[in-house]
Amino acid sequence: MSSLLSHEIGYSAPIEVHNHGFSPYVNNEGTSLGICGEDFVLVASDTRQSNGGYSINARRSPKAFELSNRTVIATTGCAADAKQLVEDMEQRAQYYVHKHGREMSTPAMAQVLSQLLYTRRFFPYYVFPIFAGLDAKGKGAVYNYDAIGNIECVSHYAYGSAAALLQPFLDNQINKAHQRGADTTAKPSRAQAVKLAIDAFTSATERDIYTGDWLEIFIVDSEGVHKLTRELKHD
Amino acid sequence: MFLTRSEYDRGVNTFSPEGRLFQVEYAIEAIKLGSTAIGIRTLEGVILAVEKRITSPLLVADSIEKILEIDSHIGCAMSGLTADSRTMIEHARVEAQNHTFTYEEVIPVESVTQAVCDLALRFGEGAEGQESTMSRPFGVSLLIAGVDERGPQLYHTDPSGTFLHYEAKAIGAGSEGAQTELQEQFHRDMALADAEVLALKVLKQVMEEKLSNTNVQLAKVTEQSGYHIYSKEELQEVIARM
Amino acid sequence: MSIMEYCGAAIVAMVGKDCVAIASDKRLGQQQLTVDMEFQKVFPITERTYIGLSGLATDVKTLHDRLRMRVNLYKHREERVIEPKTFTHLLSHMLYERRFGSYFISPVVAGLDKNNRPYICALDTIGCIDSSSDFVVCGTAATNLYGACESLWEPDLGPEELFETISQTLLSSIDRDAMSGWGAVVHIITPSGVITRDLKSRMD
Repeated sequence: MSSLLSHEIGYSAPIEVHNHGFSPYVNNEGTSLGICGEDFVLVASDTRQSNGGYSINARRSPKAFELSNRTVIATTGCAADAKQLVEDMEQRAQYYVHKHGREMSTPAMAQVLSQLLYTRRFFPYYVFPIFAGLDAKGKGAVYNYDAIGNIECVSHYAYGSAAALLQPFLDNQINKAHQRGADTTAKPSRAQAVKLAIDAFTSATERDIYTGDWLEIFIVDSEGVHKLTRELKHD
Repeated sequence: MFLTRSEYDRGVNTFSPEGRLFQVEYAIEAIKLGSTAIGIRTLEGVILAVEKRITSPLLVADSIEKILEIDSHIGCAMSGLTADSRTMIEHARVEAQNHTFTYEEVIPVESVTQAVCDLALRFGEGAEGQESTMSRPFGVSLLIAGVDERGPQLYHTDPSGTFLHYEAKAIGAGSEGAQTELQEQFHRDMALADAEVLALKVLKQVMEEKLSNTNVQLAKVTEQSGYHIYSKEELQEVIARM
Repeated sequence: MSIMEYCGAAIVAMVGKDCVAIASDKRLGQQQLTVDMEFQKVFPITERTYIGLSGLATDVKTLHDRLRMRVNLYKHREERVIEPKTFTHLLSHMLYERRFGSYFISPVVAGLDKNNRPYICALDTIGCIDSSSDFVVCGTAATNLYGACESLWEPDLGPEELFETISQTLLSSIDRDAMSGWGAVVHIITPSGVITRDLKSRMD
């Protein structure tokens, strides 16, 4: 009894230290990809939103958005920043219509996006966008960016938590990397692109816990933007 | 009635009871003292032509520049107080480069014209908290010629900041006679080569001196080669065709 | 940077129909500096069991030497060839012996057992066996390899199909990993023997 008592006396509650540090960024993870076709582009994102731990914030929180009737943007990184960035882009597109009396072209929008990101060079949006659309001649164009606006026009690209899983597969299937005798300049057909996107995400969902739930596919062609939804694994 | 006008002449941004801004109107009058400038739009491109007043045999004619490049696809001819045009051209060039930087495409001709006209009424005391940049209206009028995806276009701007889209336009001292002549001679589907000749012919009619390859300037803006100012030799070739 | 990513490697093993394949890149680096383009990472243990060792190069060599010694002793004592599964447990024990000072190695084992049944597995640095019925990967390009394998692999591939699949998988993966590459080698283990082929790849 006395030993128990002394133990109780000896015990003192630890002083709790509260840190009020503010972390402005959260990685909401997930994966996005873009594929460029001859007369169309495809952009696909899963809709799972998490925060780097084992919990899921939302199973249906889209990361890809329609910007105009010929452009789409897919994001990864911080969902809040992505939302703001998309609103910035919509505003710039509308302003252009007022100022110049016409719709902004896809390359112009690509450039504006790059500059929007660079204007926040020292407090960047934590967003890795893939921007896709049809150019003035109706040909597909896919652009990828880093968080501070470095821009690259590519045939296909993957960003996000499963990017490393998808990218080699897309290199192999779209650019026909290492396929002897294959036509490396041929672009995928629309059906091939859709199939590749679904296959890629199905595979990514097997290995990446941050990718899953639903897949949203946007296809832009001369008729406008078409959206497909597919179910992914929910585990 | 106009004898009492002086009361409202003082403030550059004071309306008269009749609703007029005299200083702006006087500025427009100032253009009519300037050397004649002509612009003609064809389906192939736009021609700009100006006369140079060689006021002294000792004047180096090449030092007079009344047609300037705004961007590779836009040129500009001027008449009036040409020193004022420096501000406007500089603004137009910056605006054009900014557009290319921001959108990675060339600026539309109408947009650059609008940008120049936005400057026109920034004279006077300036609004609350804003620094006024100019004390009086511009005394210059511009003919802005360019080619974009809407094809070749010609715009005319005046000191009031108004701009109008023209198929053929003459400004400056000889503008009345020249404009009448253009109305008679111009037709919508004339060739660029014919427009070159027409521009010089009309200039010749309104010029006091004899037209030569030193006292006129000629420029064209076409889809293929953009803005191009004629060399002495090229000019001589056009004169030979007159 | 983790010591596991110091040298760079991409190793993959796949199961086919009555055959297995194991392949690796050839680069040896010291972080971003490439020091060897012919570095061996996959070693024959028996005529039908191979091991791929990714991780720190000195441990790759040391562990391989020790394994060779232990496998030779097994052969002399038991008077039979070690089975891939038995070998994997031997390896697992050797790694666990160094539980608190481990080799910086994550190995992959591929082989055919005495009934010509394919066997592949991967181990972690302290010997936990992760056996698989489709494919296993290790090295700095592991994530890339997982993605490519997951999409390209299918069951019951014959030796030539398996060779094509593992080659495409490996080459596509090392192209997107700066730490591995500089050529590759593939071994297809079949009941009638091992086919070894060198692959050319981007040298950058």
